[in-house]
Amino acid sequence: MRAGRYRLRMTVAPGVDAALGRCVEATRSLFGAAACSIALVDDDGGTLEFVASDGAGADEIVGVTIPVSRGIAGWAAMSGQPIAVRDVQTDARFARDVAESTHYVPTAIYAAPMVDADGEVLGVASVLDPVVDETSDWTLHVLGTIAGLMALVTTATAGADPAGQPLATLGSDVLRVVESWQATDRGGTE
Amino acid sequence: MSNTPAWSAAFDRGSLEEVVGLPIDRVREWAFGGSTGADIKVAVVDSGIDADHPRVGGIAGAVAFELDPDSDLGYVDREGPHDDLVGHGTACAAIIRSLAPEAEIYSVRVLGANLKGRGALLHAGVRWSVEHGMQVANLSLSSKSETMFGPLHEVADEAYFSGTVLVCAANNLPGPTYPSQYASVVSVAARPGDEEMALAYNAHPPVEFGARGIDVDVAWADRGSITATGNSFAAPHVTGMVALMRGKHPWLTPLQVKAVLQAASINSVTG
Repeated sequence: MRAGRYRLRMTVAPGVDAALGRCVEATRSLFGAAACSIALVDDDGGTLEFVASDGAGADEIVGVTIPVSRGIAGWAAMSGQPIAVRDVQTDARFARDVAESTHYVPTAIYAAPMVDADGEVLGVASVLDPVVDETSDWTLHVLGTIAGLMALVTTATAGADPAGQPLATLGSDVLRVVESWQATDRGGTE
Repeated sequence: MSNTPAWSAAFDRGSLEEVVGLPIDRVREWAFGGSTGADIKVAVVDSGIDADHPRVGGIAGAVAFELDPDSDLGYVDREGPHDDLVGHGTACAAIIRSLAPEAEIYSVRVLGANLKGRGALLHAGVRWSVEHGMQVANLSLSSKSETMFGPLHEVADEAYFSGTVLVCAANNLPGPTYPSQYASVVSVAARPGDEEMALAYNAHPPVEFGARGIDVDVAWADRGSITATGNSFAAPHVTGMVALMRGKHPWLTPLQVKAVLQAASINSVTG
């Protein structure tokens, strides 16, 4: 199923800071991916709720909740380790019904836990069908680092910590850097 | 923009630095040759193991740790069969089984249906492994909690001195993760290649070893398999090698195991 058949846009859940939307927008662009999303762990630690997404199925996935033990995203949350799965369609435990409800069923998924400064897993960042070299773990390192930044943004925008407010602009800063880098890269290769 | 992989950069063939290992003649044959891992107890501290998965081939025992606010420790342990709730542990166990077919694999489930208390349960699982005489424990999971630094460090030291080799997956997240960061454990990152017994040593730790972990065909839930990448899959390759080594040379201590692994690495030369 190709991403191009579907409307591509960034979506955030009500009450969620737009900075997280800018984060997924930048990350999807960086990876040349069909979609990127953020799912946050609920207060009880038992479910993940998709709160921000950009790309294929963004409108449909935001607001969806899944048990934290489910799917590739749950796998990353549980183990605390980034993971890349090349063909999720062979995974019997892949949350296929969730994917189909978004009208986009990916082939590959990269997922990394979003860990806060106290070491708690706040959520998971997922990238669907990235256009990257899958023969190194460089992509996992990059996604893991970005997921850490997303955790900072989540913490800064969810609480009342005034010192954290500058972090709310981090998402747009990341997007600006990525766009700048891509523009430079395109200019150098044409 | 750097095109340098994370920990794997140290294990690329083009950048792999030589290290000086112990002068053991035909070290890989000495360490692994003819061993099946028989009589070696291997703990997989993870999400449980699907013992009926054909690539796992049964397990020797199982214990599950679960949060319980009414208990003194905050958790309870339940011995006996259990499911793999996530799939992570089954993938790791199958890799270990492929290298050490006769190892006695124990499922130590510390990941459940809830993220609460991950660090405390991880600590409990490692302690159980030490107290039950596991010769090697696979930890394809980690904690970034600073409050767990001390407790995990303490139990990792206990493991080291009591003879339980802790094989820990490094993490691609920024900053230190525990217990993979400790000198008392064998820390592992993924490197490319199809050879399941391949091993490289990092001349610039804290991550010390690189093993197969990229595009690995791993066991999965419901008797299936997938192709996946992650340090989670590199660690059990080394766990399997340690099981082989200790099956052949039961007297090896964790100190000696690490030295032999270094000597058996492809970039190791004798001084």
